[in-house]
Amino acid sequence: MSDRGVVYDLGYVPYDGERTGRRGAVSATFRDGNYRVLGIKRRARKKVMPWALAVFAVLPAIVFVGFAFLLSTFSPDAESPFGSHADYFNLTGTIVLLFVALAAPELLIPDRREGVLSIYSSRPMRPDDYVAARFAALLTVVAGFLLIPQTLMYIGFAALDADGFFNALWSNAGDIAKILASTAVYAIGYAPLALLFATLSNRKSAATGLYLGTLIVGTILGAILFEETLLSGREYAAMLAVGELPTHVNDWIWGSASTAPMATAGFDPWVSFSVMIVIAVVSTVIVIWRYRSQM
Amino acid sequence: MTDSLISARDLGHAFGKVVALHSLNFDVPAGRIGLVGANGAGKTTLIRILLGILSPTTGGATVFEEDATSEFLSIRSRIGYMPENECLPLDMTAADFLVHAAGLAGLPKNAARQRASEVLTLVGLDEERFRRQGEYSTGMKQRAKLAQAIVGHPDLVFLDEPTAGLDPAGRDDMLDLISRLGTFGINVLFSSHVLGDIERTCDWVLMLDGGTVIRSGPLDQLVEADVASVEVVGDLAAVAANLRTRGAEVEVHGHRLVVTAAQADPFLLIRDSLADTGAGMLSLGPRETTLEDVFLRQGGAR
Repeated sequence: MSDRGVVYDLGYVPYDGERTGRRGAVSATFRDGNYRVLGIKRRARKKVMPWALAVFAVLPAIVFVGFAFLLSTFSPDAESPFGSHADYFNLTGTIVLLFVALAAPELLIPDRREGVLSIYSSRPMRPDDYVAARFAALLTVVAGFLLIPQTLMYIGFAALDADGFFNALWSNAGDIAKILASTAVYAIGYAPLALLFATLSNRKSAATGLYLGTLIVGTILGAILFEETLLSGREYAAMLAVGELPTHVNDWIWGSASTAPMATAGFDPWVSFSVMIVIAVVSTVIVIWRYRSQM
Repeated sequence: MTDSLISARDLGHAFGKVVALHSLNFDVPAGRIGLVGANGAGKTTLIRILLGILSPTTGGATVFEEDATSEFLSIRSRIGYMPENECLPLDMTAADFLVHAAGLAGLPKNAARQRASEVLTLVGLDEERFRRQGEYSTGMKQRAKLAQAIVGHPDLVFLDEPTAGLDPAGRDDMLDLISRLGTFGINVLFSSHVLGDIERTCDWVLMLDGGTVIRSGPLDQLVEADVASVEVVGDLAAVAANLRTRGAEVEVHGHRLVVTAAQADPFLLIRDSLADTGAGMLSLGPRETTLEDVFLRQGGAR
């Protein structure tokens, strides 16, 4: 017998293990969507913007808690000079807006432009499943952007509370529901419209530009029509400030005075919430309709 | 329709006023099936109906004896599809994409990783697995497309023009791979307008032309050697006339007769006719019918 190694050609091995069917296909689409919007398993340049924005979203919370810790060391009775949960949502809301503007086109457009949609069309899933998985992927990452810093602040400030960590966690438990509600408001307020623009355009830069342009122009136009004209019903022009609707609802959730255009125009927060929901539903319906015709 | 892998009954499809498929009826068994037709014959439309992407305008089709329209999720969980067009995410490596494709086929995470690795080796992309697919040559892209179609070990794989754009060596490799799929227990529906590719790889042929089925049957019956060619010395016309009285079809090409006999052995007819007429011969041999002959004889690509 020779002691030299022997190479065996094992050939093709059929797979006869577990198959997860539709659930597995949807789960894979969701997972790939998360990777895609965060640039995971993609080129380095695809990671720059999402991770930079993630750092911008989380870093201030770490700094706030850190400074509050230092302050409490020197002056245990001093109030934290840093913002509340509501203020922090207004900060991260802007970051989320930018993230969604970049992530939604990245999530949908390459699959159409590079023909990958034909692969999804042949897998055990419906067009609605594809859209739902992609929506869920974006909403999950957006929720992460919003929830992680808020959680850090909630736990951090509880750790510094004079009443003790667990007492503070319990006494501030009502904030958890508010944090979750505000997270849902920003995610629903921004993501569906961004996905609609990503569905209607085949160029990522165009989709991002049109989305941000619509929100910016809407806000400016709403302000001009409301504040600079004497038209009857001019207060309805405030509804054009679509990007400010989540801010109005967020301020309502946290009981803060709002300077959002809808508040200035005299509308109750539930009107802003309703307009937001209508936009989200209409956007989602159009996206599903477009994908049903393509898959 | 029993024991048919794919069946169609009065299957029709129209895009507005343009009719792509006209009332197709066929049954094809398991194995390697060649779907032949010129561009625009309706091959891709048929595949898209079998995948449940398009709904038939009339009639219906079954795959694994399940209705392609209502049971498409069940069917899709047992098939793979290699589209004709680009379908690879260009900014992903083949390794990552194959794991994703296996996940889409319903394989759990660990199995997906293992299958991706095995299939990339099978298609010859093991050394290129960590390159972005956007950097691949056409041949490598075709291999990656085939890999994603079979990574879930489907019962049936639809290959739509898999040799398109390949150089001769790449075409050879791809056809070898397709030929081997049958030995792995994977049935193949190989759509192509290149008849030679189908002849080389398939054992059943479904011919489409202008949205209608012009022939469906085993390849060996379609291309069997039922034609003989004889070079005659002597009275060519007399030999030809004698052959015709025996029921053969005869074409005259100079001193050569091409003899087709559907009901009898053409060689025996030639022997008898030469004996009857006293003519001699310089050469005698088979002229094998090619798939192209059959296609043209059926009026294909009119």
